[in-house]
Amino acid sequence: MAKLPNKNAIGSRKKLIAIVLTAVVLLVLPLVIDSDYIKHLLIMSSLGAILAMTFSLLYSAGLITLGAAAFYAIGAYASTLLVMNAGFSFWLALPLVVLIAAVLALGFGSVFVRNAGVAFVIISLIFVQVVIIAAGQLEFLGGWGGIIGISRPDAIGPVQFTSKTAFYYLMLAVLLLVVLAFNALYSSRMGRVWRAIKLSPHLAGTLGINPYKYRLLAFVVGSTVAALAGCFYAHYSQIITPGAFGGWLSIYVQLYAVVGGLEYYILGPIIGAVLMTFVPEYLRIVKEIEPIITGALLLIIILFFPGGILGTIKNSKVDPFWNLKGKGRSDKTGFKETAEVGRG
Amino acid sequence: MSLGLFVQLLVNALTIGSIYILMVLGLDIILRGTKILNFAHGQLYMIGAYVMFLFFQMLHVNYIVSLLLAGIALAIVGALSYLGIFAILSKRFTVSTSFSYRLLLSAMASVGLMMILQQGTLLAFGTQERGIQSPFPQILDIFDVRISLLRVVIIILSVLVCLGLYLLMYKTSFGRLLRAVSYDPEAVTLQGVNAFWILVLCFALGSALAGLAGAIIAPLFSVTNQMGQNVIFLSFLVLLLGGIGSYRGTIIGGLLVGLLLSFGFQFLGGVAELFVFMLVIIILIIRPGGLLGEATE
Repeated sequence: MAKLPNKNAIGSRKKLIAIVLTAVVLLVLPLVIDSDYIKHLLIMSSLGAILAMTFSLLYSAGLITLGAAAFYAIGAYASTLLVMNAGFSFWLALPLVVLIAAVLALGFGSVFVRNAGVAFVIISLIFVQVVIIAAGQLEFLGGWGGIIGISRPDAIGPVQFTSKTAFYYLMLAVLLLVVLAFNALYSSRMGRVWRAIKLSPHLAGTLGINPYKYRLLAFVVGSTVAALAGCFYAHYSQIITPGAFGGWLSIYVQLYAVVGGLEYYILGPIIGAVLMTFVPEYLRIVKEIEPIITGALLLIIILFFPGGILGTIKNSKVDPFWNLKGKGRSDKTGFKETAEVGRG
Repeated sequence: MSLGLFVQLLVNALTIGSIYILMVLGLDIILRGTKILNFAHGQLYMIGAYVMFLFFQMLHVNYIVSLLLAGIALAIVGALSYLGIFAILSKRFTVSTSFSYRLLLSAMASVGLMMILQQGTLLAFGTQERGIQSPFPQILDIFDVRISLLRVVIIILSVLVCLGLYLLMYKTSFGRLLRAVSYDPEAVTLQGVNAFWILVLCFALGSALAGLAGAIIAPLFSVTNQMGQNVIFLSFLVLLLGGIGSYRGTIIGGLLVGLLLSFGFQFLGGVAELFVFMLVIIILIIRPGGLLGEATE
């Protein structure tokens, strides 16, 4: 088991250098960039990355969700109502929204998760649709026109969140917290149980693991974090409409995870989200055929680079220090699916 | 509620329901055979309607012939998509590939196909609504109950398609092969059958059903490039309600959703869809596998 100490040290030094470099770049970025548009894209990428990480979290437990947008919307609406109508401070509303989302996720999840597999995919997709229809039809949720003029998060002491730069740093902090939390989850027993269930629910069952219980836990954690992202989205964009959560959003979220690298539960979504936020924006030059190019790009990645960007880099042995925790060990194709007992 | 209104709502329910049944039968055949959750199904439905518009409205081809042409055209589109995308994808899957990974990648591939078909149709036909002149504009008047003949024709056509599908699936050797491949492709291959081409035909058949559904409904609603997205969510809901892998369940689910939507929109307005969803949740609590399906891990 013991690795050569010097080899290990080189690995960790490389890793440390990579992390420090990334941190410096991320911290300096808004100071160098003047364009508000790019800062906006960066903020949206961080929101997308958080959503895609919740997708990957559920995927790590063998659940494929198309419903990331549902709890994103629930979080956005809950926090808007609490702040605008009930007069809460944003920072007080935040834990309340997390609580509400957790309770709702537990309630709905206990029904949804009973069918892992195709039925769960479909029901998560339909759930998004239902949340959108509910938001559009119910008067106190603002109807199809949505709610406008949502306040930015309240200032903490001297720190105001009115500028895009300030919000960028806020999102960076939130992203970091989510990454650390998820990393801790993946390295804990819970993360290992999830991966065991994904590999084979039956086998996990014979080891005394209740797949339903752990999948439900994954659903609750994922949904709660998605709702948290929704809070920040509502108070960043200052306007929420039911349409903003519909259609393509959920599909784009899983695209981020697939493009970045499905088996890299943390780094994959982040890289995928940044790339898939920026690339389509710059493809707007050819606006008419932009969805065709995005669709073709997606097909090419799925058909020929199944490991996603990270998996492909890893396989080409360019450099191994992408190895952040929380990913499955990959084989030649970038994937770990080898021992499958029964079709989970 | 007068008798007239009741009968009209009932006919509306049957029209909506029969279209959903055709859609979901196609989805189900594809899902069971090729293990693809086909997100492009709504777009195939839309292209079916555009083919109908092209032949029936623009080229004045006979109504029934246009319908058949729409079915054939979509079968070709389906077969080509399968050969071009899913066949390449499934080559990478082995027996040991986990089901969730397989499902995810095929579903994502179908999303890519959906984006291409959606935008391709938009570029080809533009955003404006295209109306198709009703081939049966007459109104039936039976004991003061007024029903549009077109809706009756739509219901009859859907029943005929279902009947044809039943005969194909249960009375021909192709149907037997298709069902066998859906059950266990490896065992079929061991019997000396080339399962690959059965799967191609399976995807083509499912696509043809979507195309027929679009073509049948096209004269009733106008043809737009949004129609695919509108129909796909409720189709998935019907699939779930009836139970995956049960044709009878699909038919019952389709009729139930048709009835709920038709009567719900009349008396409740737009929240009717919420009630449909509540019903599905309740049914899933009682029967996790849908009405007539089996729950899966």
